[in-house]
Amino acid sequence: MAKDTFRGGVHPEEHKELSRDQALRVYDAKGEMVFLLSQHIGKPAKPVVKKNDEVLVGQVIAEADGFVSANIVSSCSGKVKGIEKRRTLSGAMMDAIVIENDGEFRPLVTQEEETDPMTLGNAEILDRVKAAGIVGLGGAGFPTHVKLAPKDPSGIKYVIANGAECEPYITCNDQLMRTKAEEIVEGVETILRLFPNAEGVIAIEHNKPEAIEAMKKACHGKKDIRVLALPTKYPQGGERSLIAVIAGVYYPASMLPADVGCIVDNVGTIYAIQQAARYRRPLIQNGITVTGEAVANPGNFTVRIGTSFAELLEAAGGLKEGATLTKALCGGPMMGIAMSSLDVPTQKTSNALTLLVDDANVLAKENETNCLRCGRCAAACPQGLLPQQMLHAIHQNQLDRFEKKYYGMECISCGTCSYICPARRPLTESFKQAKAEVLAARRAAAAGGK
Amino acid sequence: MEHKLNISVSPHARDKMSTSAIMACVFFALIPSAIVGVWHGGLHTLYVLLAAVITAVLSEFIFDYITKKPNTVKDNSAAVTGLILGLSLSGSVPLYIPILGSIFAIIVVKCFFGGLGKNFINPALAARCFLMISFSKTMTTFTLDGVTSATPLETLRTGGVINLTELFYGSAPGVIGGCALTMIIGGFALWVLDIIDWRIPVSVFVSFVLFVALFGGQGFDLRYLAAQIMGGGLLMASLFMATDYVTSPVSPLGHVIYGCLIGILGGLFRVLGSSADSFSYAVIISNLFVPLIDEFIVPKPYAYRKQSELVRSGHPVKSFFKMFPKPAIVLTVIALLAGVALSGVYTLTKDAIDEQQLAANAESYKAVLPDAESFEKVDAIDAAIAELDGGFYGTDFGRVTINEGVAGLDASGNVVGYVLSVTTKDGFDNDITLSLGLTADGETTGIAFTELNETAGMGMRADEPDFKDQFNGRSVSKFTLNKAGDGTGADEINSISGASITSGAVVNAVNAGLDFYNNVVKGGN
Repeated sequence: MAKDTFRGGVHPEEHKELSRDQALRVYDAKGEMVFLLSQHIGKPAKPVVKKNDEVLVGQVIAEADGFVSANIVSSCSGKVKGIEKRRTLSGAMMDAIVIENDGEFRPLVTQEEETDPMTLGNAEILDRVKAAGIVGLGGAGFPTHVKLAPKDPSGIKYVIANGAECEPYITCNDQLMRTKAEEIVEGVETILRLFPNAEGVIAIEHNKPEAIEAMKKACHGKKDIRVLALPTKYPQGGERSLIAVIAGVYYPASMLPADVGCIVDNVGTIYAIQQAARYRRPLIQNGITVTGEAVANPGNFTVRIGTSFAELLEAAGGLKEGATLTKALCGGPMMGIAMSSLDVPTQKTSNALTLLVDDANVLAKENETNCLRCGRCAAACPQGLLPQQMLHAIHQNQLDRFEKKYYGMECISCGTCSYICPARRPLTESFKQAKAEVLAARRAAAAGGK
Repeated sequence: MEHKLNISVSPHARDKMSTSAIMACVFFALIPSAIVGVWHGGLHTLYVLLAAVITAVLSEFIFDYITKKPNTVKDNSAAVTGLILGLSLSGSVPLYIPILGSIFAIIVVKCFFGGLGKNFINPALAARCFLMISFSKTMTTFTLDGVTSATPLETLRTGGVINLTELFYGSAPGVIGGCALTMIIGGFALWVLDIIDWRIPVSVFVSFVLFVALFGGQGFDLRYLAAQIMGGGLLMASLFMATDYVTSPVSPLGHVIYGCLIGILGGLFRVLGSSADSFSYAVIISNLFVPLIDEFIVPKPYAYRKQSELVRSGHPVKSFFKMFPKPAIVLTVIALLAGVALSGVYTLTKDAIDEQQLAANAESYKAVLPDAESFEKVDAIDAAIAELDGGFYGTDFGRVTINEGVAGLDASGNVVGYVLSVTTKDGFDNDITLSLGLTADGETTGIAFTELNETAGMGMRADEPDFKDQFNGRSVSKFTLNKAGDGTGADEINSISGASITSGAVVNAVNAGLDFYNNVVKGGN
């Protein structure tokens, strides 16, 4: 039933050679640390510290507010400067706990106790994951303890460890798999304990042979876990693409992966789950690739969450001499967010800082021209949508047609259509806006109905 | 951070393939055809192509300049339109033809509707049709090495034998882009580069071949089919014109429907109508259906397709028919039924038309053989005509076919002479068909025209007694044409002044009839 690859997709230039062989280096922040209260999908966390409190590494500083929410844990020790509005990636202001980092990183738990995760009960695993404040590190930041508790655990057939890393430039998961293969496999085994009928699949794109090798070695002798090498194609790492390949199923936006028998977690998340299950370690650091043609020494870093991107850039040697930085992205060029300033804290879902010079994104600045109707967007769309007609409907102000006739809400904003469009039309860009408008209209209708 | 950063919504990367790159690929895919065309057609052919391309580009540039629009010449689409138009012209046309055509294509068909992407029919094809209607004579004259000759498809229609190798290498008379080999190479290259979808050309071929095989009257004759595919612009139309993004549907299924529509229409026009331009019109008409196809053929996202739903419910069904959405099956059936119905109407009306033709013939037979009271078929003549198999008769008479021959009987049933119906394709404007009356001794008793559509006041004067009565009561084995009009010799026929081509065609047709009578009918007896 499973196929070699999903339908559609594109092959953007990888640029991974800049950092792919740079081992993960631990970078300890020096300046103040900023912990945004909403680093996940769901309600923002509720602060449990106040100004001038002394906090330690590993201390919960904001608690999950409700079921779909997540704890925020301090990654440094020092004094709380206050709870104030800070700028996020997109430039908006958001509540954040700001801590004056004393640089000593005094831990809350001095004596770690080690437990074999295979001896833990299901409830205990979920508790540890929740306490650690783990969310999906691959992008959206969906609280992991919610994801791991679907309605019918026995209906889950596949636990998919997403090591595809299909975004250009980013290599931190590649390095993580090369160096923490045993831990990731244990993480998968831990998750499999929750799903008695499931099989573990570690999915990695072909362009990471070392990672594939390392993971295969770590899986050796494990009956219910296998490594699956996939063709290198964007967006292979999308949840729906992976499920299309591994389970052979396409499903609509109204359904969750669990509804088609799949749990998909980024390998970074799985590593965090293993750390939480074995050592009760909270999520206080993650892997971030600092890369791009404008960076002096591109590399992969293990970074304490809350570190400023500007500081991280200095850790990578700062800007390359003579390079003109034109665009700073959190993430890769396909789905990353362009930042107006680097004085923004990293958060749980940050996986890359990509600094582009002019010639790297010159194509993206070409002027939009008339649609040729070439159909490349439709052929490349991994969901089988018709981007050209969707944009036409938007231009005609027919959001109803966008939504109902062309299934516009199925768009996953992967950027494939805009990437491939020879006329440089802003397809994905417009769909994000249109989807937001449709959702707003739905909310308004729901509110009016009350 | 001393300078500002660019802010935009993702994605921040773009594919290298831009509109202008795509158009450049199409342009270069046509270059081999252009080279072969110039190789066979000579320097003038090159001028025709250059005129078409340069005018197209200049037209767009000037239009943009006058209307203060951003300059769109650099997207290369005007050059492609010009080249396609040039390749679809005869290499011998005067230069004002490609120039006018390119202006029409770019200004009227493309720019007036909003430029690239907004035109509703293919500009090059629209211009070609515009030229066909405005300058039909010039557009359908194909010369090769200075000699006007029939295109392979005309030869094919009249039952002649054509040279497939010539078609394949492009040395047959026809349009500049007539080389099948380079067209296929160009199309294949575009497919490899992922610029055109194979579904359009393939469905054009398949539906066309099926249609022609079923209704073309020659069945699955491979030579006939190969000639039909390689001749008359089918390859250029299906590979380069039908695949024009702007005027073709977007969905894969839409491509198939659109391709089949072109194939069937093209087949219909080829079988029933004039051969040379079937595909120009087939593509243009199909262009008009594109918005309709796109409105109704809307592929669902993968997740909403029946197969996905079945997989999700745990019952994947891999039935062949389930894989095709209903509209595809319905449309195919409709297309087939329409084809069958049309050919049925043709077959039915064909008999009626034939009967009328016979009645008209009988009248003209009587006019040329007044002594006869009735006419009857003669087996020997029928057999001799059947042996000719519709091909041109002899080598000295131009493109003449012998249609029919009957014996004229007097009241008591004695043979008083014969009447032959002869058609020549060498008329100035169109085919000329005449009836030739002969006594049993081979004396001509007169001629009458059953088909004469020459230029009024010129060739049409062939039907006046001054000219046609010259054949009455003369006994020669071969007439010669006196172009000066002052001949008095026993075998001389004076030309209509100013219409020597028509006159010559008539004389040749009569000579062919005489030769056929003397050597085949009498010789056979």
